[in-house]
Amino acid sequence: MKWKISDVVNDDATLISRRAWSDPEIYELEKQGIFGRAWLFLGHESQIRNPGDFVQAYMCETPIILSRGEDGKVYANINSCSHRGLPVCRAGHGNTTKFVCPYHSWNYDVTGRLVSIPQDRQVKVRPDKSRLGLKRVPRVESWHGMIFGSFDPEIESLEDYLGDMRFYLGAFFERFPQGIEFMGQPQRWVIDANWKLPVENQLGDVNHGPFLHAATIPPEANAEIFKVGLSVVPRPGHGATFRYMPEDEPVENVAWGFESPAALLGGSEVHDYLREIQAHAVERVGPVRARMKGLAYGVYPNLSFLWSNTAFKVSHPRGPGKVEYWSWSVVPADAPDAVKKVLRGSHTSLFGPGGILEQEDSEAWSQQFRGCNIDFADDRPFFYGLGAGEEGPHPDMPGLVSTTANEAYARYFFRRWRDDLQTVEAA
Amino acid sequence: MGDRFDPKSVSPQLQLTVEQFYYREARLLDNRRYKSWLGLCDPGIRYVMPARTNPLVDNAERDREEMISVERELEGADSDGTPIRDEPFALLALRVERSFKANSWAENPPARTRRIVGNVEIIEVGDERLSALSNFHLFYARPGSGNFLYAGQRRDVLLRDGDDFRIANRVVVMDFANIDLPHLGLFF
Repeated sequence: MKWKISDVVNDDATLISRRAWSDPEIYELEKQGIFGRAWLFLGHESQIRNPGDFVQAYMCETPIILSRGEDGKVYANINSCSHRGLPVCRAGHGNTTKFVCPYHSWNYDVTGRLVSIPQDRQVKVRPDKSRLGLKRVPRVESWHGMIFGSFDPEIESLEDYLGDMRFYLGAFFERFPQGIEFMGQPQRWVIDANWKLPVENQLGDVNHGPFLHAATIPPEANAEIFKVGLSVVPRPGHGATFRYMPEDEPVENVAWGFESPAALLGGSEVHDYLREIQAHAVERVGPVRARMKGLAYGVYPNLSFLWSNTAFKVSHPRGPGKVEYWSWSVVPADAPDAVKKVLRGSHTSLFGPGGILEQEDSEAWSQQFRGCNIDFADDRPFFYGLGAGEEGPHPDMPGLVSTTANEAYARYFFRRWRDDLQTVEAA
Repeated sequence: MGDRFDPKSVSPQLQLTVEQFYYREARLLDNRRYKSWLGLCDPGIRYVMPARTNPLVDNAERDREEMISVERELEGADSDGTPIRDEPFALLALRVERSFKANSWAENPPARTRRIVGNVEIIEVGDERLSALSNFHLFYARPGSGNFLYAGQRRDVLLRDGDDFRIANRVVVMDFANIDLPHLGLFF
C-alpha cells in the first residue's frame, strides 16, 4: 500500500487526503472493508410484488438478481452462472420462471436453484446440482419494504444496523397509511466521479445549496434552512437533514411536496392529498416527526434518500473514478394514480440526469474528482472541519444534532470509513 | 403511426416548410438563442423524455415484431414508471431563464453544440395540427469536460401558426444504454 489509512483521514476526520477518492488501492480496500461487510440496498418490495418478478441490482460492482420466489419470499443471487460465469439474466426487470445461461443453457429457477444441466445425460457421473446453484447473498432483510443484502453472514440485523436512522426514515415512510412504492425502473447515470461524492452530497451537504444552485433555488428557501435546518448523525455513516418547522406553521409550509414545481403545478387534487397527509401526520408519526420537513438522508455506505424531492438513490462504484448512479422516483402507495403521476415529477424535474438542479451537482462531483487526482497537492488535504465539536444531543430527537453548516455528517462518515478500511488494511 | 407515405396529404411544400422549421429551431438552439427557441413552443406544450428501460424479452411474443419493439422499452408520461422529463411550458421557461445566469455552473462555460436534424417524416396532417417524426444527432463539446454525442428521435405535434408552426407536444426518445452523458437537461 502506498498510503496508510491513518494518514488518509486524521483522528477527528477534519482533514482528508485527496487520495481517499482517487487511489485504486484504497478502492480495493473499500470493496473488502465496506462493500463486503455492510448492508447494501437492493430494491423495494413494490418492485417485485408477484412470484417470478425480478429486478437487477448491484452490490458494489457485483451484479445481483433480486427476485420473488413461488413461496412469496425474496431472494438475492449473484448474476453469474456457476459453470462459466456469464450473467444468466440480461434484462433489467421482468417476470420469469427461469434464468438460462446463454452459453450452455444451464437453467436456474427464480430462487437461484440449478434446475438442469442439458449436457449431464451424456456423462456417467452427473454433477450434484444442489451444490451448483447461483451464489446466494447470505443475508437478505427488509425494513418498511426496503430490501438490503449483505455478503457478511455474521452482520448485525438490518434494524440494528440502521439504528436511530429508523426514527428519521420512519418520519417519511410512516406518514403514509400504506407506506411508499417505487415507480418503475431506476435512471442509471454514469458520472466521472468517485462513488462517495454523490453519497456525501446527499448525506448532509446542505451547505452547497445556496451557492452551487443559486441560479435555481430561491433565496427564501435557503433562509428557511438557515433558520430551522438541522443535520443529524443518528449513527456514524448515516445522516439526516431536515427543517424542524415551528409548531404553529401553516400546513402548506410544513407538508411534504408543496415546494416542488411538479406539485405546485399539479392542481387541487394533488394539493388536497398533500394537505390530508400532513393533517394526519401527528397521529401517524408523532408530534416531533410531524414537524420535520425533509431535505436529504444517507444510509451507510451508499444509499441516499432525497426526501424533499422524493427519490431513492444508490451510488454504485465502477472503479475509483466512475460511478453508476441509480435513482428511483418514490411515491406514497395509497395516493390515487393521477396524483402519483404528478408527484413523480418532484424528483425528475429537478433531479436525476434531466433535472434542473442535479446537472449542477454532477458537474461539481466530476470537478471535485479532478481535484482529487492532481499532483503536488498532497500537503493540502480537504478541510472537513466546519463546526467540529459543535454537534451534540437534542432534547426532542436521537443522535448528534447540529446546524446544517456543520460538517459532522462527513466527519462521522469518514471515521467509520477509516475504521472499516483499517480492519482489512493489515491483512 | 402511419407506415406509408401519403402523397395526397404530404405535399412537397408542406415537407419543405416543416423541414425549414426544424432547421431554424436547430440553429436557434446551437446559437444559444434559447429565448427565441421558447417562442417556438406553444404555451400549452408538454415536453416528455421517456425513460429507456431494459425489459425481459418475452418468449411468448417470439416471431412477432412487438417482441423487440422500441415502445416496450419506454416509460413515458402515461406509464406507471417514471419518465426522465415531463415538463410544461413553465419548466422549460425556468430552464431558459437559468441558461442566462453566470452561476448556472453546468453551462458555464457554455457548451458548443451542433444539431443535425433529419428523417423528417410527416405522419398525420390536420387543418390545425400535424404530427411529425424527426431524428437528431447532437454533438456536445464543453470546455473543461469533453465531447459527447447525443442521438434520438423526436415525436412532435406541431400547431399551424399562419405559415409557421408552434411545438404543442414533443416526446424525445433518447438512444443510450446507461446515461453516459453529462446531462439530459438540454433542449432536444
